[in-house]
Amino acid sequence: MIKTPLCDLLNIEFPILQGGMAWISDAQLAAAVSNAGGLGIISSMNADENWLRSEIQKAKSLTDKPFGVNVMLMNPHVDKIAQVLIDEKVPVVTTGAGNPGKFMKLWIEAGIKVIPVVPSTGLARFSERAGATAVIAEGGESGGHVGEMSTMPLIPQVCDVVSIPVIAAGGIGDGRGIAAALMLGAVGVQLGTRFLVAHETNIHENYKDKIIKAKDIDTTLSGRSLGHPVRSLKTTFSKDFIKAESDPTTPPEVLEEYGRGALRIAAQEGDSQKGCFMAGQIAGMIKEKQSVKEIILTLADETETVLKGGLQWVK
Amino acid sequence: MVLEKVVEILRNYKDEQDLEVTMASTFEELELDSLDTVELVMEIEEAFDTSIEMDGELQTIGDVVTLIEKAIA
Ligand SMILES: Cc1cc2nc3c(=O)[nH]c(=O)nc-3n(C[C@H](O)[C@H](O)[C@H](O)COP(=O)(O)O)c2cc1C
Repeated sequence: MIKTPLCDLLNIEFPILQGGMAWISDAQLAAAVSNAGGLGIISSMNADENWLRSEIQKAKSLTDKPFGVNVMLMNPHVDKIAQVLIDEKVPVVTTGAGNPGKFMKLWIEAGIKVIPVVPSTGLARFSERAGATAVIAEGGESGGHVGEMSTMPLIPQVCDVVSIPVIAAGGIGDGRGIAAALMLGAVGVQLGTRFLVAHETNIHENYKDKIIKAKDIDTTLSGRSLGHPVRSLKTTFSKDFIKAESDPTTPPEVLEEYGRGALRIAAQEGDSQKGCFMAGQIAGMIKEKQSVKEIILTLADETETVLKGGLQWVK
Repeated sequence: MVLEKVVEILRNYKDEQDLEVTMASTFEELELDSLDTVELVMEIEEAFDTSIEMDGELQTIGDVVTLIEKAIA
């Protein structure tokens, strides 16, 4: 059994979180992860409060275990979303793309555990000071919007500056990765890419097939010039985007417009001409579509084996 | 005096002792991204032993100075 303080803190069996993924992690996936003993997280992306309320209620009908909601702070409906989380007594909220300061107090007073995703030690310290329950330190190996730091140097440095629990994310795909994260000082992990291929993940089959086919070198970064780089699989879309981006005459608005909705197209239509298939560098290691339960039990087993095996080097 | 101290912190942060900084300098002009801004504002807060709201509205050094002045008044 792998047990860390995060299990008690979040009331979960395994210290494994399924990261919020826009257009992808819905009630079905989140509930499956929570039922399997991890913490499932619904992504509220740019959705409005009505969509989120019904998704939360759906998750509650599918699991009696705790689950979380990922809030994108740039969401125009964020004020109403923040209130729905309180009304529905969602146990855990993770935040990305912005500063949760404004809602922190409200959520914490309502008993919600707030876990910001941070790309640097500065934001980790800032989050702790604002009352965060824990932080997810995410390295740029991950899929989706990424920071500059890699997981390996980020995790121990974040662990050194905060006293709240640190959850590692970015580039973790099996028990070796989880064991390594724990050795770096994290007490839990968040995975995104590995869950893309779960049977319960409601995305176009092309997306899952592309992840299975991907090699280590098959992801790329686009959107650097816009200030928010995105890691995705190399496809016609990503190549065209990077070409447009490197042409100084392309106005940023055109790029923003081009990128908008591209993840939705990938997830729902599986179209590699127009879709942006966000995925992390660990995609190359994912070779099998499995149920969420198989994924979580395999991860937990592997972690245990790897951690026990580590002692062989201690003479 | 707040400005002077902030300028000193900024110069140390960037390790450029003759960096030109005025109230109107923006973080962007100073080549500080949002992560640098968080880091810097925390250093500034610690130097003045106070804290200010960081709600994404901070654009210029003047914004920070004004908030610090209010906080320690
Ligand atoms: C397709 C995709 C979409 C994502 N969308 C979001 C999002 O909307 N909000 C967020 O905070 N993180 C998002 N992430 C990041 C994940 O929550 C998670 O932290 C990350 O995938 C972990 O790294 P890994 O992909 O290497 O496992 C996304 C990741 C992927 C792969």
